[in-house]
Amino acid sequence: MAHPTPKQYIRVAIFLAVLTAVEVGLFYLEAGVDGVTPSMTSPALLILAAVKFLTVVGWFMHVKFERPLVSRFFSIGFVIALGVYAVVLTEMALAFARG
Amino acid sequence: MSAPHDVHESTGIENRKLAMWAFLSSEFLLFGAFISNYLLFKGRLPVTDALHPVNFYDIPFTSISSFVLLMSSLTMVLAHHALAEGDQGSARTWLLATAGLGVTFLGGQFFEFSEFFDAGAGLGVAPVWSSFFLLTGFHGTHVAVGVLMLVILFVISLRNDGLSEAQGLNLELVGLYWHFVDIIWIVIFTIIYLIP
Repeated sequence: MAHPTPKQYIRVAIFLAVLTAVEVGLFYLEAGVDGVTPSMTSPALLILAAVKFLTVVGWFMHVKFERPLVSRFFSIGFVIALGVYAVVLTEMALAFARG
Repeated sequence: MSAPHDVHESTGIENRKLAMWAFLSSEFLLFGAFISNYLLFKGRLPVTDALHPVNFYDIPFTSISSFVLLMSSLTMVLAHHALAEGDQGSARTWLLATAGLGVTFLGGQFFEFSEFFDAGAGLGVAPVWSSFFLLTGFHGTHVAVGVLMLVILFVISLRNDGLSEAQGLNLELVGLYWHFVDIIWIVIFTIIYLIP
């Protein structure tokens, strides 16, 4: 697959900037509008962060243009960290709840 | 990111590059520990408490810092692209721009920390504050290391022959590290600052 051109990189950066603006907008929506709760905005914020994360990894770190081995190497650490700390946080939350 | 250089490894990927990917992958565990630590203590202090970090955050300011770091990823990738095209002058300019944006981000973080300390926050005030400074401080240290590597590359590029093909790989490795620092900030900005 051909590598992106500077124009494509700039388009990606604009896309990332727009997503950041939407994130900040959601923050103020939750803070300033009655009836909008964190349970409504938090999932959207997490999805936006995930899209930004994957966009930087795919386009700027060129993972989508690299051999699959690279994405496997990279995702192993991410998946292990996610799993380990999900367990730790759950266990600690339960421990705190028990007092 | 792939600059034109010979690959002699059975994987088809430069060993140093693969090592960098492995290193960055392991960094998820480091930052995961710090983020979990913060999340663990965040709920131990009521949000109504005046000393809760949520009551200190300056979202417009941090949003601008986040934007600066995001744009530094653009300048970094443009530096790499320029070098791959053999345009040493542009590569040098984009390298310097990336380092400048990194320093701007660090300046913002220094200002933010100063404001927090002036308002009564501190490492020993509450566990949530310790975990906040540990997390953002380690991230800032990573940015500082990245800036140092960018400056070294810039100085090398000023030599007569500029950045060679071998140094193209160095620039690529520094770029990977820099983008990683950016994606970690994407996570920190959302989880620490934006989600109450």
